Amino acid sequence: MGLFESLASAAPELFTIKTMLLMMVGTMAGLIAGAIPGFTIAMAVVLVLPFTFSMTPVEGLATMIAVYVGGLSGGLMSGILTGIPGTPSSVATTFDGYPMARGGKPGLALGIGVWASFFGGVIASIVLMVVAPQLAMIGLEFQPVDYFSLILFALTVTASMAGDQILKGLMAALFGLLIATVGSDVVFGQPRFTFGIDSVAQGFAFLPVLVGLFAFSRLLGDVRTSEKAHQRLGGNEAHAVHIDYLGAAREVISRWGNILRSSLIGVFVGVLPAAGSTISNILAYDQAKKTSKESDKFGTGAVDGIIAPESANNATAGGALIVMMALGLPGDIMTAIMLGALLIHDVIPSPSFISDEPQIAYSIFLAFFVANFMMLFLQSFTLRGFVLITKVKMYMLAAVILFYCSVGIFALNNITYDMWTLFIFGIIGFVLRALGFPIVPMVLGVVLGGIAEARLSQVFARSDDIMVFISRPWSLFFLLLGCFSLVFPFYQKNIGKMSWTRFFVPALLLVQAVPVFMMPGIARPAVAILMAVTGALMILYRLQNTTNPVAGEPKQSSD
Amino acid sequence: MSLNRDAFVAVFFLFLCAVMFTASTNLPPAMFGQMSPALWPRIILVPLALLSALLLIQSQRHPVETERKTFSEWLQYNKNPFFCFLLFFLFLVTMPIAGMLLGGLAYVFLTLNVLGGWKPSQLGLHAAISAVFVIGMWAIFTQLLGVLLPEGEILRVY
Repeated sequence: MGLFESLASAAPELFTIKTMLLMMVGTMAGLIAGAIPGFTIAMAVVLVLPFTFSMTPVEGLATMIAVYVGGLSGGLMSGILTGIPGTPSSVATTFDGYPMARGGKPGLALGIGVWASFFGGVIASIVLMVVAPQLAMIGLEFQPVDYFSLILFALTVTASMAGDQILKGLMAALFGLLIATVGSDVVFGQPRFTFGIDSVAQGFAFLPVLVGLFAFSRLLGDVRTSEKAHQRLGGNEAHAVHIDYLGAAREVISRWGNILRSSLIGVFVGVLPAAGSTISNILAYDQAKKTSKESDKFGTGAVDGIIAPESANNATAGGALIVMMALGLPGDIMTAIMLGALLIHDVIPSPSFISDEPQIAYSIFLAFFVANFMMLFLQSFTLRGFVLITKVKMYMLAAVILFYCSVGIFALNNITYDMWTLFIFGIIGFVLRALGFPIVPMVLGVVLGGIAEARLSQVFARSDDIMVFISRPWSLFFLLLGCFSLVFPFYQKNIGKMSWTRFFVPALLLVQAVPVFMMPGIARPAVAILMAVTGALMILYRLQNTTNPVAGEPKQSSD
Repeated sequence: MSLNRDAFVAVFFLFLCAVMFTASTNLPPAMFGQMSPALWPRIILVPLALLSALLLIQSQRHPVETERKTFSEWLQYNKNPFFCFLLFFLFLVTMPIAGMLLGGLAYVFLTLNVLGGWKPSQLGLHAAISAVFVIGMWAIFTQLLGVLLPEGEILRVY
């Protein structure tokens, strides 16, 4: 089935009154969650999850995607009006949005943010519809060993995001994998690490673990002292304004190059495991500043400085969905929760998912597209209400959400065991966060642990030869990428200071050319030759410029 | 050896690895040419132990400067999370008796007071928040979504 036939078959599933209403409510919930500083989008998606149990897969997924899209856009409101980003994905929006609002143009700043979010989301949904089925076709080439290596790569990337704390990031990822081994093994169903407690034989469902590690540690960290607990979420500066839609639309459309570039950066970052909108908005802002003719105006209320982060963060959601839909692997917390929602409805994403379940798959694509229009519509007249919500005190939110998390988790399987899991992993998450461990690698370790073990068992069922890990091109590709991602934090830290950093990128090209060359067909070996030649030329060029340690490297932004 | 925060964490993880590795020896061997149930956990435990040892060495060579706190200062600093966990624990323990509705009301009300204060003017607000959100949530789940939440012995009708 072609793209348009698939979309036509999915449309009746999605465009029902009930689904549209649910998506409206979801977008509204996401906007509210995004508008509240400190309240992450992941938390909003977690809170919505229990409501989707009684829905059909399309209704449930469409609602969660609406929350996701709403949340990504909601962050701009508090960021622009108060200078406090509603979510980490709106950090860069405050750099120019807040100065523009303070400069007497809050309506224009909000309008630009809303339109940029809209265009970013729409571009990403088009890329999603076109790229995801193609990536899924590549995914069909994957054998268990390739999947296993891909999971290892995802975990190393997640750990490397911890920067200086990469050691703790790796330990957190391994600890997450270890947690996933408790219960019963995936091959024989033998009880494992139960230590005599019968109920532990059922293992830990990953959603209670995820919510415990993530929500508890986050919320309790926010109310640690009385002063923090009594803080109003959005400060006292938030004030309602009217959005200047027409003026903003003119400004945004006239800068279409920035929108396109930032959206594509967003999609690309979203495809990378664990990268997410927290990184894409800053990366897009940096690129917009470097390429702008008015780079000196950045930080004082530049229009491009609002467009870039807002279009990038919305586009990132599309990138993350591409990988989840095409390969069945979650790259971040949001897609991990969505994967959980799909599994609850007995829908198992895999490379054949898009071709086997085109109605559900294309309904999800369409839902992402439609949610952006809903976001635009709802932003236009609900802003005043959102600003009022940011006046709520942190402790009130924490108490209610903790209760709500427990109800939602109980509703998963109707057993109190899950609530105890939530409680225990809440403590573990809080303690580990306090000790400087990143939570995201651990969460992904828990989510991917079972899949990794299943794939590894399939590898060993076929052969005892461990050389298969390096003789399969895709496996070697991901393992080598994983090695480079482990070195990446040191590269990032020493770029321009140590001479070896000049050879990091060319070495990456040269090394990765080997597995790409091993791939079948003509196109990929040709790309491999191009990569090898480029890498070799870069090395030669940089060796000739040994007097300047940073020759050939892009100039780093001083921000 | 200086016992700083990272050293404590590293020792804990080394101990955990030792316990889990020992427990993995009790798992059955591989059968029918399949992977042994102990193999995957061991693949995880070996690098985890190595990284923990590395963290231990790092903690001795470059100890992280953390603010020294007495036990009472530490308890004061973590008072809010500690009480939140304690209240959540009591909420779970009393679940068979109080159920989700009464237990939830008590839990949210007490958490709000512990975090927000016990002034008489606040008590009314906290009671209202508890009532609206707990009863509202309970009603949505039981009446709208058809989820059978634990009713507890107090409210059990039959």
